[in-house]
Amino acid sequence: MSHQPCAIVGIGQTHHKSRRWDVSLGGLVREAARRALDDAEMDWDDIDAVVIGKAPDLFEGVMKPELYLTDALGATGKPMFRVHTAGSVGGTTGIVASHLVETGRHTRVLAVAYQKQSEGNAQFALGSGKGASLGAGGAFAPFMRSYIQRSGAPLDVGPMVAVKDRLNALKNPYAHLKLENISLETVKASPMMWDPVRYLESCPSSDGACAVVFTDEAGGKAAAAAGRQPAWVLASAVRSEPASFPGRDPVRPQGAIDCAAEIYATVGVSNPREQIDCAELYVPFSWYEPMWLEAHGIADEGAGWRMVESGATALDGDFPVNMSGGVLSSNPIGASGLLRFAEAALQVRGMAGEHQVDGAKVAMAQAYGASAQYFAMWIVANSLDPFGS
Amino acid sequence: MTTTRSVEATIRFPYKRSLGPVMGAFMTALTEQRFLGIRSGERVLCPPREWDPDTAADLSADDLVEVGPAGTVESWTWVSSPSAAHPLDHPFAFALIRLDGADTALLHAVDVASPDALSTGMRVAPRWKAERVGHITDVEAFVPGEVPQGGGGAGAEEPVTMMDYDAAITYTTPVTRNEMRAEAANAEGRFLGLECPACARVYLGGRGFCPIDALELGPEHEVELSQRGTITNYTIIEPVQYPGQTETEPFARVHVLLDGSDVILGYQPVVEFPVGDVRIGARVAAVWNDTKVASGGGIELDGWIPTGEPDDTDPNLVNRIC
Repeated sequence: MSHQPCAIVGIGQTHHKSRRWDVSLGGLVREAARRALDDAEMDWDDIDAVVIGKAPDLFEGVMKPELYLTDALGATGKPMFRVHTAGSVGGTTGIVASHLVETGRHTRVLAVAYQKQSEGNAQFALGSGKGASLGAGGAFAPFMRSYIQRSGAPLDVGPMVAVKDRLNALKNPYAHLKLENISLETVKASPMMWDPVRYLESCPSSDGACAVVFTDEAGGKAAAAAGRQPAWVLASAVRSEPASFPGRDPVRPQGAIDCAAEIYATVGVSNPREQIDCAELYVPFSWYEPMWLEAHGIADEGAGWRMVESGATALDGDFPVNMSGGVLSSNPIGASGLLRFAEAALQVRGMAGEHQVDGAKVAMAQAYGASAQYFAMWIVANSLDPFGS
Repeated sequence: MTTTRSVEATIRFPYKRSLGPVMGAFMTALTEQRFLGIRSGERVLCPPREWDPDTAADLSADDLVEVGPAGTVESWTWVSSPSAAHPLDHPFAFALIRLDGADTALLHAVDVASPDALSTGMRVAPRWKAERVGHITDVEAFVPGEVPQGGGGAGAEEPVTMMDYDAAITYTTPVTRNEMRAEAANAEGRFLGLECPACARVYLGGRGFCPIDALELGPEHEVELSQRGTITNYTIIEPVQYPGQTETEPFARVHVLLDGSDVILGYQPVVEFPVGDVRIGARVAAVWNDTKVASGGGIELDGWIPTGEPDDTDPNLVNRIC
């Protein structure tokens, strides 16, 4: 390993809802950060630096939120900066924070990501403030149609993902959507929003925040010695590619393939489905689960939908995906990536409560953004050497 | 990238802010023509904060205390040419004002005729608006002296918990040489492409670079493109309403593969093509619109209209997306 080990010792998140009008924007991020500090048994003074991530400024109309939120995050006089990578930003925020520890620059770093969608309008923001916004669903619909055609997947696979993630969300006290009566029938009966994607195959708009405390090897080992299981960041990677050029395949973006290949190589994973216990993948629209299973080499090309159909990705399957309920159940956009990363860490710490995968030791997380062109991924484990190399 | 023209655009949006317990109380007090600060240790902070900026400690709405209404100018700057976004429509000062009883300063406008009337240490008092909604602009400006001006009427009947924030930004986008040449070609009924000398990928004419090879593209790389093509994929948008939305009915966006090339134009509008008829394989032609030229804009693609030719039935068209 070319850098120092990095441990996750604190995780916090808000209860994600359509509107958190009971708190200010600062109050929202503070709530998640305070929970992460409590989990880490730390206080504001213990943090050396803060990294913040959110979707572009048009979402809430707050310019330079990293300055605005300094007080709320106890960051006065500390290094604090913001990461920008569109929808993947939460994942990248966690990775940047882990780098600050891995390089030895800081010992304890707080990563915070958030969105307060209720203060603006996502369709407006995604349309660059103009009329006729495509929204994310409209932008991704052609990609999903292409996937369905080339894979020959049965049309029920998308609705099956939508049901599975919402059933998982019922086990997650922080999840936004709590759809008790979700079923294939209710999903298929919901309005077609962006053919081939229906309303119930789409993510909600949420207010919410997520925070993660990173520390060095000594800090991680001290937490473990005190009975607080850390999650070790074994690998992380980011990739990006242009949104369009002749020959680009947005269903299997090269950036997604390369990003996954790097984290597998770093950790020594040759068969991710066998060696990794579970995954949190950024699935804002149902068909993205089989698409990412294939583009990340977890399933063979054309076979991702079979994992969904067979139940392999359910909470009790052999490769659970989106145990938290995923983006389909909670989507505070900027936070959504960090929530994936945090859930992977909760799993290997054995702290995921009712949505815990039994015996999870190694977990991966992914976030993507913009026109499926930014990727952030990591692998976390309950030890520095989970495969006993 | 040589440019000789710019296009101005404005985007605006009525954002909301949930104020939280401390700022909500401050805004509610403004409707009552009162200022609140918050006690943090030995200090009183005004405007009040939810957290101590030095220690990050939680501050409690129970520790809000009334300050002002008069105060002392700690520093100021003169605004000689106010914009529409400024609080006053004539020259004024922005000042840091420490209200009586507070230890920190509030930023607000001071309404005086000239910078000669300003000095650090001068005493000022608020001029209240007659109608107050729980916004910092409930104070129209501060004025010299000890006595509040204006105001009247009652405070808010209910505690203020939300704030409207109408944001607008005007920006200018340069029109590049390539874009102007592409427009000129469009005006002649031609469609210009740019071919990368390294990878031979062809891009629509306005683009100034190959994103793969990071090479700038110019007139020497121009190639002619067809104005006809085939729909390879599409999306039908169910429009969500938001300020600035122009659509009320479901609308289509299509991907068009131009004849005789690998160029795919994504998310294109259609013309005289009902949403229910939009399909993969349909043959379409470009329709141009020059109505914005008079106001400094360029010739724009209105969209793609069905040509009536037989559909292309290649089953792999759907995968031609980028």
